Amino acid sequence: MTRRVAVTGIGVVAPGGIGVPAFWDLLSNGRTATRGITLFDPEGLRSRIAAECDFDPLAHGLEPELVERADRYIQFAMVAAAEAIADGGVDFGSEDPWRVAVSLGSAVGGTTRLEHDYVLVSERGQRWDVDHRTAEPQLHLAFSPSTLASVVAERFGAQGPVQTVSTGCTSGLDAVGYGSHTIEEGRADICIAGASDSPISPITMACFDAIKATSPNNDDPAHASRPFDAHRDGFVMGEGAAVLVLEELEHARARGAHVYCEIGGYATFGNSYHMTGLTSEGLEMARAIDTTLDHARVDPTDIDYVNAHGSGTRQNDRHETAAVKRSLGAHAYDTPMSSIKSMVGHSLGAIGAIEVVACVLALARQVVPPTANYETPDPECDLDYVPRTARPRRLDNVLSVGSGFGGFQSAVLLTGPGGRKR
Amino acid sequence: MTTEMTQVTVEELATLMKKAAGVTVDPHDLERRVDTPFAEFGLDSLGLLGIVGELENRHGRALPTDAERCKSPRQFLDLVNGAFTTGA
Amino acid sequence: MSGQRTRHTAITGIGVVAPNGLRTDTYWKSVKEGLNVLDRITREGCGHLPLRVAGEVRGFDPSALIEDTFLVQTDRFTHFALAAADAALEDAGLSGIAADAPYSVGVVTAAGSGGGEFGQRELQKLWGQGARFVGPYQSIAWFYAASTGQISIRRGFKGPCGVVASDEAGGLDAVAHAARAVRRGTDVVVVGAAEAPLAPYSMVCQLGYPELSTVEDPSCAYRPFTSAACGFVPAEGGAVLVVEDADRAHRRGGVVRATVAGHAATFTGASRWDRSREGLAHAIRAALDEAGCAPEEIDVVFADALGSPEADRAEALALADALGPHGTRVPVTAPKAGIGRSYCGAPLLDIAAAVLAMEHGQIPPTPGVFDVCHEIDLVTSTARPAELRTALVLSRGLMGSNAALVLRRGPGTAA
Repeated sequence: MTRRVAVTGIGVVAPGGIGVPAFWDLLSNGRTATRGITLFDPEGLRSRIAAECDFDPLAHGLEPELVERADRYIQFAMVAAAEAIADGGVDFGSEDPWRVAVSLGSAVGGTTRLEHDYVLVSERGQRWDVDHRTAEPQLHLAFSPSTLASVVAERFGAQGPVQTVSTGCTSGLDAVGYGSHTIEEGRADICIAGASDSPISPITMACFDAIKATSPNNDDPAHASRPFDAHRDGFVMGEGAAVLVLEELEHARARGAHVYCEIGGYATFGNSYHMTGLTSEGLEMARAIDTTLDHARVDPTDIDYVNAHGSGTRQNDRHETAAVKRSLGAHAYDTPMSSIKSMVGHSLGAIGAIEVVACVLALARQVVPPTANYETPDPECDLDYVPRTARPRRLDNVLSVGSGFGGFQSAVLLTGPGGRKR
Repeated sequence: MTTEMTQVTVEELATLMKKAAGVTVDPHDLERRVDTPFAEFGLDSLGLLGIVGELENRHGRALPTDAERCKSPRQFLDLVNGAFTTGA
Repeated sequence: MSGQRTRHTAITGIGVVAPNGLRTDTYWKSVKEGLNVLDRITREGCGHLPLRVAGEVRGFDPSALIEDTFLVQTDRFTHFALAAADAALEDAGLSGIAADAPYSVGVVTAAGSGGGEFGQRELQKLWGQGARFVGPYQSIAWFYAASTGQISIRRGFKGPCGVVASDEAGGLDAVAHAARAVRRGTDVVVVGAAEAPLAPYSMVCQLGYPELSTVEDPSCAYRPFTSAACGFVPAEGGAVLVVEDADRAHRRGGVVRATVAGHAATFTGASRWDRSREGLAHAIRAALDEAGCAPEEIDVVFADALGSPEADRAEALALADALGPHGTRVPVTAPKAGIGRSYCGAPLLDIAAAVLAMEHGQIPPTPGVFDVCHEIDLVTSTARPAELRTALVLSRGLMGSNAALVLRRGPGTAA
């Protein structure tokens, strides 16, 4: 018998407000959280804007000791996980700890801390033979991204398979996908799945400057993230985390948990084309979508909403539009497709999980979040991008897609209570 | 604050292609095939961005935003040298 | 695991880049002879740091193996991975596979630390010269997904691609991930891990690990399972495997060198080595269960061998807990005592050694270890001849993960 995967809890730390209610308020009202960078002085950078989290870890219940030790991206994940677990009503005291897994994604992990300490030990980039004596004692925790899943697992007592997933900008989708496979395959009954990144630091901003992937619209940050719009000029960096409690459906039912929806399917493929480039045809993403639908036993015409990667770069939005048309056929034109990156920016590995949480909420509220800032149609992007205003709609099957540096193309399908076809 | 108004030659471009993108091309061959798309030499968008960055840093000034969208060596050299001589 | 599908995962290719061998045959020769190649670190800018001894990959010339267009945009850790992937594909006889069916080949790597040397160079440009001096490849060379992406692009593979970063044990998790992809229908997965943590800043980052050995004498810096255990020594390198649906391998006349029979992973907390006993034992039992393997069937154990007294003790006890009386009788070895631990690459090197050991009927010794102070049968001094059908590979991570992998010997080399 196939094990089915339910979503029973959600938590989010996103720009524009911490926690699920604030997040949904932002999305459903089409507000944008992009602004001039305040986390460091961005003087000298081409793109000096970002979607930042106004985040006070102590106010969200993290201990000073943890705040001292753990990077910002880990703090985000801890807060999002706590919210998701409370939301799911999971009592780890009564769960078998060996049956609780963790699957968390991050694209750049502890790089913000790594850069911070690098500046200390190198005398601001003056020496290759760095001086270890000026490094902070917790630096080793930033060295490997495995710290992310480890710290979260330790906090909640998970003793099953614990892994950090790092597939660039599809890390969040893939972490949810791996987590759902873990449950499907019987290796755990509960999985704390999601992703976190805090990439707003000089080195990460500079490396995207160097490839002109980020928007230089520093004069109008609130309207700088313009997915699918003819005048889009790159993505706006974001940060944040989202965590879902994934649970084997019968396990969830047995403890009387509220089931938001199910993870109906997941698939990922490589495009084997270019580390940063995307084709205009979108064949590999289309394959990920097709395989996901197949896995979920859902027809293309059953898709009610596509949550787009929609980063707002010229090539991404064109690529993705082509992929969705290829997979959904004529139905693509009848299917709303929006990008919440227009509002919360692009938090690299975290965004895939944040977008899955947005989809869970869209299903729960039966509302499609909009694409903010969408004004001028681009002939190459000719689908219904839900301009500026959220839209009530009957939603049963919702698809979230993503692309990542390295060629990763991933898709996750969420199925609401009315969407199961078996 | 004057920057040197040297023209970027085909030879220099060949050197830059090697340094910034790992693309080996004989300068004479490049000269003969100045209208051949960069892609046929094995130079991709990131490689061209690397060359643009290198030139910008070397000359201490920005190149027009279309520089990295140039498709061929001739187009690129015309644009770069035009920009450096006019001081654009 | 769902019993309905019976796709078995075969290992049909091995590629190694290790401190004790740049090719699989030289690696095996060194491992079998118990060569200890740990030495003073010679990489530029590292000499003054209080970490003196490591397993360096020496004599590796990436420009002889990999095109300049790839070299310019990648870190040393990816150079290792690309070279090992080429070797593994050639070994499997699958060098040309992408042309026929690109979607049937996936790529999975495990990564502990990414492109540290490349990253340090770009950080130096940023902070020493300015943001405009950061090059276009920083965005794709430093991050953890670089090796998976570059292997898939360079070799034309469009199947499921993934990256796990679950500290050292992630190396075993990656192989299990690949095996599951095969069970789900992907024909071939190129899977592995290679690391290059010996750049100056990367080394500074590791100094905080309480288990790190800072002993200056290479001959006694890493002595697992002895009373002189003083921590572990890091290393460079790793291995890449080709794993494949076993039936497909048979049909095409490929050599099934071993099968991935079972795997399990657990978590018991960072540096909680006392608790790793329970975690490791649990993982071993679950891996045996998945493999349908009785404890007595295990013919050799490739130990994690962290080299700190508490961790070594936990591992020895975990073997007894999980395997019963067989736990103190089964031969155990730790070739990494002579190589060091290349983080996620270490368990991949152990898998390679385990497959080679089964093929050759030889259990390689644990280099530099003679005075074992735990209740295990650690193979020391010289290789021990033995009929090996089933091997157990163990790994633990500094951040708290434990994993066990069961390998079965292939049907033989008569293709």
